[in-house]
Amino acid sequence: MPGDGSITARLKRTLPVRGPQAPTLSELMRWYCLNTNTHGCRRIVVSRGRLRRLLWILLTLSAVGLILWQCAELLMNYYSASVSVTVQFQKLPFPAVTICNINPYKYSAMKEYLSELDKETKKALETFYGFSEGKSKVRRSVDEWNSTGSNFFQQIPLLKVEDFSRTATDLRSGQKRKIEGSVFHKDSSIVNSGDSNDIIGFQLCDANNSSECALYTFSSGVNAIQEWYKLHYMNIMAQIPLETKEKLSYSADDLLLTCFFDGLSCDKRHFTRFHHPLHGNCYTFNSGENGTILSTSTGGSEYGLQVVLYIDEADYNPFLVTSSGAKIIVHDQNEYPFIEDIGTEIETAAATSIGMHFTRSRKLSKPYSDCTETGADIPVENLYNKSYSLQICLHSCFQKAMVESCGCAQYAQPLPTGAEYCNYKKNPNWMYCYYRLHEKFVKEQLGCQQICKDACSFKEWALTTSIAQWPSTVSEDWMLRVLSWDKGQKLNKKLNKTDLANLMVFYKDLNERFISENPANTLVILLSNFGGQLGLWMSCSVVCVIEIVEVFFIDSLSIVMRRQWQRAKKWWNDRKRGGSGKAPQASDVERQGHDNPVCIDEDLPTFTTALRLPLPQDSPLPRTPPPNYSTLRLETAFTEQLPDTLELGQH
Amino acid sequence: MNLKKYLVRALHRLQKGPGYTYKELLVWYCDNTNTHGPKRIIKEGPKKKLIWFFLTLLFASLVFWQWGILINTYLSYNVTSSLSIGFKTMKFPAVTICNANPFKYSEVKHLLKELDRLIEAALERILQPTPGNSSENTSAPLNLELWNQIPLVLIDEHDKDNPVILDIFETNQTAGGNETCSHQGSDNCTYRNFTSAAQAVTEWYILQSTSILSKVPLHERIRMGYQAEDMILACLYGAEPCNYKNFTQIYHPDHGNCYIFNWGMDEEALNSSNPGAEFGLKLILDISQQDYIPYLSSAAGARLMLHQQKSFPFLKDQGIYAMAGTETSIGVLVDELERMGYPYSDCTMNGSDVPVKNLYSQYNTSYSIQACLRSCFQNHMAEICGCGHYMFPLPEGVNYCNNEDNPGWAYCYSSLRSSIKQRQICIDSCKETCNDTQYKMTISMADWPSEASEVTLIPCFATDIDGSPLPGTGTLSNVRAGVQLRGSAASAHSALLPQIVWLLSSLGGQFGFWMGGSVLCLIEFGEIIIDSLWITIINVIGWCKGLKQRRARARYPDAPPTVSELVEAHTNLGFQHEPAAVPRDEALPPEPGTPPPNYDSLRVQPLDVLGADSDAETE
Repeated sequence: MPGDGSITARLKRTLPVRGPQAPTLSELMRWYCLNTNTHGCRRIVVSRGRLRRLLWILLTLSAVGLILWQCAELLMNYYSASVSVTVQFQKLPFPAVTICNINPYKYSAMKEYLSELDKETKKALETFYGFSEGKSKVRRSVDEWNSTGSNFFQQIPLLKVEDFSRTATDLRSGQKRKIEGSVFHKDSSIVNSGDSNDIIGFQLCDANNSSECALYTFSSGVNAIQEWYKLHYMNIMAQIPLETKEKLSYSADDLLLTCFFDGLSCDKRHFTRFHHPLHGNCYTFNSGENGTILSTSTGGSEYGLQVVLYIDEADYNPFLVTSSGAKIIVHDQNEYPFIEDIGTEIETAAATSIGMHFTRSRKLSKPYSDCTETGADIPVENLYNKSYSLQICLHSCFQKAMVESCGCAQYAQPLPTGAEYCNYKKNPNWMYCYYRLHEKFVKEQLGCQQICKDACSFKEWALTTSIAQWPSTVSEDWMLRVLSWDKGQKLNKKLNKTDLANLMVFYKDLNERFISENPANTLVILLSNFGGQLGLWMSCSVVCVIEIVEVFFIDSLSIVMRRQWQRAKKWWNDRKRGGSGKAPQASDVERQGHDNPVCIDEDLPTFTTALRLPLPQDSPLPRTPPPNYSTLRLETAFTEQLPDTLELGQH
Repeated sequence: MNLKKYLVRALHRLQKGPGYTYKELLVWYCDNTNTHGPKRIIKEGPKKKLIWFFLTLLFASLVFWQWGILINTYLSYNVTSSLSIGFKTMKFPAVTICNANPFKYSEVKHLLKELDRLIEAALERILQPTPGNSSENTSAPLNLELWNQIPLVLIDEHDKDNPVILDIFETNQTAGGNETCSHQGSDNCTYRNFTSAAQAVTEWYILQSTSILSKVPLHERIRMGYQAEDMILACLYGAEPCNYKNFTQIYHPDHGNCYIFNWGMDEEALNSSNPGAEFGLKLILDISQQDYIPYLSSAAGARLMLHQQKSFPFLKDQGIYAMAGTETSIGVLVDELERMGYPYSDCTMNGSDVPVKNLYSQYNTSYSIQACLRSCFQNHMAEICGCGHYMFPLPEGVNYCNNEDNPGWAYCYSSLRSSIKQRQICIDSCKETCNDTQYKMTISMADWPSEASEVTLIPCFATDIDGSPLPGTGTLSNVRAGVQLRGSAASAHSALLPQIVWLLSSLGGQFGFWMGGSVLCLIEFGEIIIDSLWITIINVIGWCKGLKQRRARARYPDAPPTVSELVEAHTNLGFQHEPAAVPRDEALPPEPGTPPPNYDSLRVQPLDVLGADSDAETE
C-alpha cells in the first residue's frame, strides 16, 4: 500500500484508539460472546439456525433471571439467625431465692396508722351488705357515719351505680348524684352479670377542675372495696419513712424458722433483706451481696435449699390481702425480683417442693433482632439498681411519666432522683392522674412499650412445683413442739400448722440448657452460596462479573463515546473545509479498527489484534513476521531456521 | 503390546527432549483452562493483562483464605442443632409410685422401739428445760448404747471462741447440734451444727434408723413396706382398667417399695397416641398416713416420677409429690434430646466407657448420669469407710454400714458427703447420656373427693380393700397423669454426614464464586504441574546425558575441539544445545529445513479462533 504511512499517521492524529479494540458495538458483543467465561453466551454466537439461537438466548436470559432471583433471596435472608440448643451437665450456680410473706406488714404494728381507715372500711362493708337485710340497720349506720365525718369517704366516695340510668348513690350519705364524665369498668363488661344492683365503684375527680371526673366501677363489691382500700393504703404508706416501714415489717427471725442448704445448716446471715413496697420485707437467699455465689454440684432435694417459714396468719391485714402464705421468686443475682409479677405462692401447712431446670438464652442483637445488651442504648433511666430487663424498663418508664405529668412518684416503684412519693396532703390530685396515666400505659399510649426492648441474654429457671401434706398427721405433734421450741426464745405459744410453710428449692438435674442464636449466614457462607448459584446456572464467577462490567460498561461506553467524538469531529471538519476532503475521510472512518489490516496503533499488538491481522498464510509475500513471534523465537533454539520453517510449513 | 508401545514412545520422548517449554505449557494452560482468570491474562492488551494478572492472583488468594476459614469452621466441630416440634405417637413414660414413708410403722416398730424411746426422752428434755419432772420417773431406763455412739448435743455459742457443748441428757442450752465421732480417736470428732432443733433431730434419727435398718435383710424390708394391693386402689389406663399386677415392684432405699407402671422390662412399652388426661393413666392411691414413721419423714403424700423405660427412678431428684386428699393432674411434655458423640460432645451411649462401675446395673436399668454419680459416691464410700451407704446399691463384697460393725461410719460418711473434692471427681468422671428424654410437667391440683361425692366414694374403697378400716379423707390421693404429647421437641444435633456435605458445597461455592472453578480445574492444575515436572525430568535427563557424552568425548577425543568451537561454547548461549542435538542428528539424519515438531503449535497459539484446529495438528 502506497499511502500506508500517511493514513496511519492521519488515523493516529484523528483517532487515538485506546481501550476496546472492537470498532462497533456489535463487534464488541460478538467478541465478548466468543471469549467470555460464562456459558450460554458463546452458544448464542456459535449456533447456526435462527430457532436454535433463539432457544439459547431464552435459556441464557432465564438463567440470568434465576440467578438474580436466587441471589436476591440469599441477600434478604442474610440477617437470619439459627437457634442452637446445647444441654450440658455441669456444676451450676444456685440462683437467688427471694421469699416474702404475702402480708407486707404486721397488722398489729400497723394499727396506729390504719385504724381510721379500717374502721371506715368495716362500716362501708356493713352498709354495702346491709342493704338487702333491712332498712333500719342501714339507716342507723348511715346516721352514725354522718355524725362522724370521715375524710376518707369525702376524698373518694364509694358509689353504687344504677347501670344505664347514669345515676349513682353515695354509699355513705345515700345521696343520689348524676354521673358526669367517663365510666371505666374495671371488670370486663362482657362478664358483667347484668344485675345492675351489683355495680359498685368510686369516682376520681381532677382536683383543679371538678367537672372532670372518672368513675371506676366493679361488678363485685369485693374488688371495689379492695381497690378503694389499696388507694388509701398506698396513700398512707407513702408518708411513712423507709426505716419505720422496715421495722413494721417482718424480720428475718420472724420469717425463717429453719434453713438448710446443700446438706448444711444456714441461718439469717445467708439472707439479705430487701424492702419491697407492696410486700414489705423480703429476704433473698444467696443474693451474692458478699461477693460469693453459692453453687451446687449435686441435684436433688437434699442438696437444695430447705426452709420452714413462719407465716403469722393471725397478724394479717384483713382488707389488703385475702390469701395467706408466702411468695417466692427464683431469679438471677443481678436481676430485680418482680415478686408481684412473677412470684410463686407457697401454701401453708404443706411442703412445697420446687424443682428447677436452668435455661440460659442468648439472642443476637442488631441487626438480627431488636434487643439490647445492657440497656444503655435505651433512653429510659434505670431506676432499679439491677441489670436491665424489659420489666425494669417498663416500670421505670411509667414512673418517669408519672413524675412528669403528676408531679410525684408512684409508691410501688423506686423513686427517681428529686422526686417524692405521692400522698394526699401534697398532691391531692394524684389518684386521678395515676389512673389516667395507668390507663394510657395499658393502652400503649405512653410509648413505653415502644421504647423498651427485650434484653438479649437472660437466665430462666423453669419450676416444677408439687405439694405434699406437711407435717404428716403422726409427726405433727412433735414437729410443732420442736419448732415452737426453736422459736421459743421469743414466742411462748405453741405454733399452729397453718402458720408454717415448708419450702424446698432444688435443681432437678444439673443440666444447663443453653439456647443461643447464631448468625445463620456469615459472609463466607453468603459468598459461597452466591458462587454456588452463579456456578450452577451459568458457570459464572466474579471474573465474569468483572468481564461484564468491563465489556458492557467501560468498553461499550468508550465505543459510543468514540463514535460521538468522530461524528463531532467530522461535522467540525465538514464545516471547516466546506466539503473538499469529505470522501476519503469517510472511508477512513469505516476502515478503522480491526477491519483495517493496516490500522496499527501505538500500543504493542496484542493477541487480539494479532488475531485480526491478515495471517501470514494469506499473504504469501514475505513480510515481517507477526510481532509476537520474536518473543517466542528468542526462546527457541532454532533462531536461524525460522524463515525456512515458515515456508516449509506451508508446503 | 500397548504397554510396550507406550514405553517405546516414552523412551523416544526421553531421547528427544521435551516437546514443549515451560512457557508454552503455561500459555497453553492459560488458554485452555476452565478457571476463569488465566484466560483473560493472555487474551488482553498489555495493560489489561497486568490488571487481570493481579486480579487472578487476588482471587486465588481470596479463595484460599476463605477455604481456610471454612475448613477451620468444620474442624472446630461446632454442633448445630435441629429442633423439631411435632406430634407423634410416643411411648408412654414409665411411672413410678412410692409412698413418702418407706415402711409401715406397725411393721418396723419392734426395730425402732429403742430409738423412739430415746428420741422421745430427748425431746422431752429439750422442750422442758427444768429436769426432775414427775413424768420422767415413769419411763423405763433408757438404753443409752445407741445414744453414746452419736449423741445429740446442745452447743452454746454465746461465747464465740469457747462454745459450750452439753449432752442433752445432762443439762440444757440453746442451739442444737449433732456430733459424729470417728471411733478411732476421740480427738477426731466433728459437730454438725444445726440452727434448728427440728432439723437436728430429723438428721439424727435418719442416721440412727439407717444404721438399724441396714442390718435387716432385703426380703424382710420389702415385707415391711407398702404392698401394691394396699397402695393402688384403682387404676385406669386410657379406657382400659388396670390393677396392681400391671406394676413392677422395685425396692427403693429412700421410699421402700415403689411400683413402676410401664417400665418395659418384661413386656413392650405402651404407646400413647392421644393427648389429654382422658387417655393417660389414672390412679387412686392409699398412702395410709396413720402408719407413717413419725420421726423419719414429716411430709405426707405419694411420691411420683415419670421417667424413661428401663431407667432407675431417682425420686429425690426428679420426683414430685402428690398430696393426699387432692386430685393431682400432671400434664407432660416430652423433650427428646439426642447428642452427637465424639468429637462433638462428650457423651456416652450405654455407659460402658465411663470409668465408674455402675452399681444400678443390678436392677437391669440403663445408664444415667444420676446412677453414675451415686455409684461414684458409693464406690468412694466403700473404699474410704469400708462399708456402703444404705441409700445406694452395694458394690461387690461390701456390706451396708451399721453402728456395730463400722462404728465410725457416720463420721466418715458426713465428711465424705461434704467433701467438695469428692464431688468434683465424680462430676468429672461421669458422662451424660447421648439419648436423653426429659419430661416437663405441668401440675395442677384440686380437692378430691368433693364433699358431695365423699360419702359414696369412701365406702366404695372400703369394700375394695376387704374390710380393712375405713381410710380417712386425708389418706387417699388421686393421681391423673395425662401425657400430653402435643409438643415433642426433639433437639438433636445434626448428623456427621451433612457436615461434610456442607463443607464441600461451601468450598465449591467459594471457588466458583471467585474464579468459576471446580474440582476439574484443580485436576487441570495438577495435570499442568505433572507436565512441568515431566519437562523438568526430561530436561534433567537430557542434561545428564549431555554431560556424560561430553565427558566421554573428553576421555576419548575423536578430534579435539577447535578453538572456534570452544569460543562458541563460551559466547553463544544457544551453542550449548548443539551437543544435545548431535545424537538426534545421528539417529535421524537431519533433513535441513524440517521444522521442529511443535512449531505449529507455537505459531497458532495466538490464533484463538483456530485453536481447535491447531490442537488437532499438534496432538
